[in-house]
Amino acid sequence: MNSLTETKRRPTDWQGAEMQKRIAGRYAAERRFKAMGMAAIALSASFLAFLLVVMVGNGFLGFTQTELPVEIDFPAVTGGASPSQFQGPNAEANLQVMGLREIVDSSIEIQYGPEGTDLFSSGAWTAVSAKILADPDIVEQKSTVNLPVVSDLDVAYKDEGNPEAEAKVSELSGQFSTGFNWNFLSNSDATDPMQVGIWGAFKGSLITMIVTLMLAFPVGVLAALYLEEYAPKNRLTDLIEVSINNLAAVPSIIFGLLGLAVFLNFFGMPRSGALVGGLTLALMTMPVIVISGRNAVKSVPPSIREAALGIGASPLQVVFHHVLPLALPGILTGTIIGMARALGETAPLLMIGMRAFIATPPSGITDPATVLPVQIFLWSDEVDRGFVEKTSAAIIVLLLFLLIMNALAIYLRNRFETRW
Amino acid sequence: MHDDQKTLEPNESVHMTDSATTGVNTEGGPPKMTARHVDVFYGDKQAINDVSIDVNMDSVTAFIGPSGCGKSTFLRCMNRMNDTIPIARVTGDITLEGEDIYAPKMDVVQLRARVGMVFQKPNPFPKSIYDNIAYGPRIHGLATGKEELDEIVESSLQRAGLWGEVKDRLQDSGTALSGGQQQRLCIARAIAVDPEVILMDEPCSALDPIATAKIEELIHELRGKYAIVIVTHNMQQAARVSQKTAFFHLGTLVEYGETTDIFTNPREEKTRDYITGRYG
Repeated sequence: MNSLTETKRRPTDWQGAEMQKRIAGRYAAERRFKAMGMAAIALSASFLAFLLVVMVGNGFLGFTQTELPVEIDFPAVTGGASPSQFQGPNAEANLQVMGLREIVDSSIEIQYGPEGTDLFSSGAWTAVSAKILADPDIVEQKSTVNLPVVSDLDVAYKDEGNPEAEAKVSELSGQFSTGFNWNFLSNSDATDPMQVGIWGAFKGSLITMIVTLMLAFPVGVLAALYLEEYAPKNRLTDLIEVSINNLAAVPSIIFGLLGLAVFLNFFGMPRSGALVGGLTLALMTMPVIVISGRNAVKSVPPSIREAALGIGASPLQVVFHHVLPLALPGILTGTIIGMARALGETAPLLMIGMRAFIATPPSGITDPATVLPVQIFLWSDEVDRGFVEKTSAAIIVLLLFLLIMNALAIYLRNRFETRW
Repeated sequence: MHDDQKTLEPNESVHMTDSATTGVNTEGGPPKMTARHVDVFYGDKQAINDVSIDVNMDSVTAFIGPSGCGKSTFLRCMNRMNDTIPIARVTGDITLEGEDIYAPKMDVVQLRARVGMVFQKPNPFPKSIYDNIAYGPRIHGLATGKEELDEIVESSLQRAGLWGEVKDRLQDSGTALSGGQQQRLCIARAIAVDPEVILMDEPCSALDPIATAKIEELIHELRGKYAIVIVTHNMQQAARVSQKTAFFHLGTLVEYGETTDIFTNPREEKTRDYITGRYG
């Protein structure tokens, strides 16, 4: 048998044509794979570039507003108000009794005719009040302030609006200027696109994220530690593991329904609040933290556990003095992924009533609130063309929020990283 | 080579007793640790079969034997490190100063402080050298203040022969040391909690010959202060560092006696075959 196979086998011809063909084929396969990989990267890079260019291009306009100059003769219309009235703690109250709105309206009518107020945004007078608070000395003299125009004109000036607005723009051309829209950073939702702001939604997102983190992180980490370090390996823990893995894959809207049924209907928590939103998102984030936490705990070398046990550390001390610090970078990575997903989540929050029109920023976890992605969703649904650029601007804010959150988490992770 | 001469000097009491093969000591003071009829099972598989042995304060005891003979398993029973393996089961009696270490009232955490362990692979914590040593005293509350802790760290490092090499860089990471230094750091860490017994599980198998020589020297110096049990694959090492040697084979204790006797005049055929390199 042995001799048979030996005689049958020809000496391998490493230089033969057949071998050369094999070699050529192998190189071709490598080249094909490299080309496909590079094409995939180029494609995703171009998608990303496209997204960034479009978003920044559109969104940038959302941070600016079109303005027209209005001359206000402060000494005449206020009857000689002094700058000292608008300093100190009573400044805001004095501004309110002054009837600034009427003052501004009449000044506009003097300059632009009886229909002049239609040119300006309904909240234009608030810009004057902000100016006075910033620099009270202007009430002593005749000053010219740039006030935001009405949304239709804003759109027509920046881009292309309806025919009436376009006609108005060409009529007043030369007088327009562009200013930074501070309102967008400090206001909340409004019906007038010139007056909307991102602050309310931003604050809502921040509070919701804090609630989510406060709940999902400790619970997720404790669950991961217990399952890895303490729990006996049996059928029950296998079942729990499978359940947690499945939970991570459940569509987010289901969590919204769960939140609606449990937190709102059963526990009767306040509707639309950051508390319920945060709890719902925590349910969604927790499995991600548990899974990544378990992997991180599993990757801590057993020799460290033995070393600690060997000098008489209790199992609890082993976990909290050695395993957890070493696993923390991995746990944080999972937490970033989970929190980033929670930050961008819209569907479950719609189910628990966070899609309401909220014009004041929330001041606590039970106040009605909205979050950035829901705000983006709501604005994208608006008919008014002025909302288009606001939507893009809100997206930029959301992406920046995400970027800052991730940067913070990466910084923390690197800080806790242990050099071996 | 000077190590050889030190150990192979004629021992103080070279009496072979009838109980030599069971490892039960019938001479001298009371043994530090005793084991009687110990069986260890991993699931259905029996890893240790009826081992009885005594460990004395004044001698280094070496466990030798081929791979898989159960010497490490037995060593890990002596401070209940096997507890961490859920399927491991230990029967029989092991005592530390007459106390049954497997008794329900025995506190495992305290036991492991009293019976310290040094592992095969150096496993310092990824912390500073200082914190590596100070960790044990801290968790057991052995030092009342910073000064006392500093003192414990210094004396432990000195006993482990590492003080001179690291005294200027106590805040450096313990993992930045060389392999031999790491292993001495681990020994210092074990000493710092003031144990009575130190178990060493092949402490030199990951080290080069120079680092090995240093560890062996250290074992010599620690002898008498602590009861030392060392598992080794290296028969020359057993001959160099130990006064008593136990030969394990297939989970049973084949022979236990004075190291000089085991190496020069073994009673069992198997022992003779093993130490002369005929198998194993």
